[in-house]
Amino acid sequence: MKRKLALLLALVMMLSIFLAACGQSEEPADVDAEEPAETETAEETVANPAAQRADADNTIVIGMTEAKGEFMPIYYSTAYDGYVVGYMFDALFSNDEAGNYIPHVAKEWEISEDNLTITFYLRDDVKFQDGEPLTAHDVEFTYLAIADPNYDGRYFAYVDGLVGYEEYTNGDADKISGLVVHDDYTISFTFKEPRVSNFLYCGMSIMPKHHYEFEKGDIEALKAKMHDPLGSGGYKFVHYEPGQYVELTRNEDYFLGTPKIENIILKFTTAETYMAELEKGTIDVQNSVTNTVENAEIIESIDYLHLNAFPNNGYAYIGLNHSDPRLADKNVRQALVYGLDRQGFVDNFFKGHGQVCHVPLSPVSWAYTDELASKINKYEYNPEKAIELLEAAGWKEGPDGIREKDGMKLNFVYSTYPDVEWVEQLIPVLIDNWGKIGVGIEVNYMDFNALTDAVYENHDFEMYNMAWSLSIDPDPYSVYHSSQTVKSGNNAVQFINKRSDELIEAGRREFDQEKRKEIYEEWALLINEELPYIYIYQREEWNVVNNRIKGFECSPYIDMSYPQVYLNMEIVQ
Amino acid sequence: MFKYIGRRLLHLIPVIILISMLIFTIIKLTPGDPVGANLDPRSTPEQKAAERARLGLDKPIPVQYWNWLKRSIRGDFGNSYIYKVPVSEVIPTFIKNSFILNVFVYIFAFLISIPIGIITAVKQYSKTDNFWSAFSIIGISMPTFFFGLLLIYFFSVKLDMFPISGMKTVGSKATGWANIKDILHHMVLPGTVLIIGSLASLVRYTRTSMLEVINQDYIRTARSKGLQEKVVIYRHAFRNALIPIVTIVGFTIPGLFSGAVMLETVFNWPGIGRVLVDAVNLRDYNLMMALNMFFAILTLLGNLLADIGYALVDPRIKVE
Repeated sequence: MKRKLALLLALVMMLSIFLAACGQSEEPADVDAEEPAETETAEETVANPAAQRADADNTIVIGMTEAKGEFMPIYYSTAYDGYVVGYMFDALFSNDEAGNYIPHVAKEWEISEDNLTITFYLRDDVKFQDGEPLTAHDVEFTYLAIADPNYDGRYFAYVDGLVGYEEYTNGDADKISGLVVHDDYTISFTFKEPRVSNFLYCGMSIMPKHHYEFEKGDIEALKAKMHDPLGSGGYKFVHYEPGQYVELTRNEDYFLGTPKIENIILKFTTAETYMAELEKGTIDVQNSVTNTVENAEIIESIDYLHLNAFPNNGYAYIGLNHSDPRLADKNVRQALVYGLDRQGFVDNFFKGHGQVCHVPLSPVSWAYTDELASKINKYEYNPEKAIELLEAAGWKEGPDGIREKDGMKLNFVYSTYPDVEWVEQLIPVLIDNWGKIGVGIEVNYMDFNALTDAVYENHDFEMYNMAWSLSIDPDPYSVYHSSQTVKSGNNAVQFINKRSDELIEAGRREFDQEKRKEIYEEWALLINEELPYIYIYQREEWNVVNNRIKGFECSPYIDMSYPQVYLNMEIVQ
Repeated sequence: MFKYIGRRLLHLIPVIILISMLIFTIIKLTPGDPVGANLDPRSTPEQKAAERARLGLDKPIPVQYWNWLKRSIRGDFGNSYIYKVPVSEVIPTFIKNSFILNVFVYIFAFLISIPIGIITAVKQYSKTDNFWSAFSIIGISMPTFFFGLLLIYFFSVKLDMFPISGMKTVGSKATGWANIKDILHHMVLPGTVLIIGSLASLVRYTRTSMLEVINQDYIRTARSKGLQEKVVIYRHAFRNALIPIVTIVGFTIPGLFSGAVMLETVFNWPGIGRVLVDAVNLRDYNLMMALNMFFAILTLLGNLLADIGYALVDPRIKVE
């Protein structure tokens, strides 16, 4: 009896909490209906809580995922540390919205006849934040640091193509012979092979030699300065509170002009509460908000927030193991795509804030031409066509409704990782859609790292889903070339196609962008036909911005730490 | 007594080594490695192989373990792959934050729950008892996640009384007392969630152990001697009821330094819980090993302290 009473009491309390929660959210509507005149004035005064902050007139607070404190261009590995680095450092060149390279610290450059040497001519008015001039020696220093025998960061690719890299990193050389400082403001990079991607590797952000200098081999001395960064960028480092925020203040002498906003605070937020922080005005901007329907509704309902949306640089896909005899059959791969309502899934999940992906190129890239767009087969949902393809290839329906041929059944193990919303919604669609064409799947959930291990190290999978990000240069070598089908290589699906290899290689050697467009068009159409992956979607990237901040406009190739964004940004109260 | 403690400490050494072997093996047998998680995903197979060799991951597990042990004994726990700085620099920063919050929570939790436990035991089945029983059930079954968001919604967003997240006002230049006040202000909501969550078990523990003692013959004897009820309860009963509570105090010592992942995520408290989860997800071996060993040693020491505590409160237990 007594115990029952206690239980009842507990239930009543729980219920009252729930009711209180509901009641609270409905309240404003009631008030609105009864006293419209009063709410209007109330709205004006509480309009924008961010403007009421004590630091509101000179500080912008940007919410983002936690940075790990790797504030050094040659060492950072998360995108968020990358933003911090971006505000503080500059590279030889930058890029525009379409991904074309534009002058930055270097005012111009030239590429030699044999396409092996790139010479950069630096501006002479760029200074580090302590007033010292930025010279070609600093560029050389930065590259020598990456080539250091004990370097343990992730940017080897920036140096291992240079002539003389091995002699420096494994030998006694005190310079990299392919890296030549001609005078204080001229430096040239000479590469072993003529590849168009070489240019990208000249773009490491420049670190001042006088601040970071260390003995060859003693890279630990350099790493000790991880939390004491000094660059030439528009913002200077002030303070880092681990797990909480990074504080930056403007560099008055920035060579492209003084930023309008005095302080930037990058506050580490989580998806659980960043919408509440935006509503309360404790942050002015939230970077990379998940584009869910619920978040869209919140943004819509709050007058002082607006959206900065643009296509994300990447795509989500289902990888198909081509060494599996069932999936090696192109008809089966095409049938799987025809038999999957990708458009329906994307419309339903993103509600207009994402699109179906057809080829592994960014729609905003120069390589994604209108011509290409018009020629792509969109594989619109067509289960009849899928069944036709399977029948023609000899896959006949078995007694359990699953198609079979020569003792093989179209029943796949689908490996994926938990806690990803789009996957959770995609799986029932897969089971339903593919069930209709006689294909079955069995879902196998794994920890992300375990899945990576199974896919890339052991090639032990039938189907899996993941996503790739797209770099500025469309070169697909690292993911689609047959040389990458080995253990630890990125072509884990074992996609091997002679024509594709030829085109990829030609694309890397060609320096003329118009000719590269043609090469990548043919390659993309080939991929569209062969389907090494099932391409699912390219989503939108969202920054939610308080209306008191003007000019916060990022795009696929221009993130918030680009001067194009932060020099334009201003506070309007 | 000191001889006893010394002997117990000596016994800990083989246990610690055994634990470290077990943890090390389990960590290494988990599929995936830091190269897959930390290197640029577009790295070539050669770069990945070189990185594995550099980290010594290509050697057999016993050899890797031996290398780890040799380093660790000298106090060198290696670099964290995630933070790129020595593990011994990462851990104190975050454990300090967890510790501050936990001390606050434990002090309040014990201060509140022990008196409540005594009262509910003395007035068994009364209204007060039932109220706290119900409260305990709610407290222990309310998910941190849900309760935390509820508090944020009411007390931060609607009433604007407490900050939504973090441990300090961003960009705050406050020092000294103002800084402490700022941190305390940020601590109220996450602290409340943790206190209410831990209240339930502490109240129930105290209550049960009090009830057991109250029904003993010597309590009846004390009462029949005509002693005041207060003296009976607080001097005779409570002291004996303390023994199981001392065990809990011992067990909570590692808890003081540990983090609560869900809570840290909801309130964005920069504690050690999320660091450990990140370390596991990204296979940051050095960080994982150091943290697990730290907690293992704390647990062992906590047990030892509990044993010593027994001897202090219970004259029947002799430590020889």
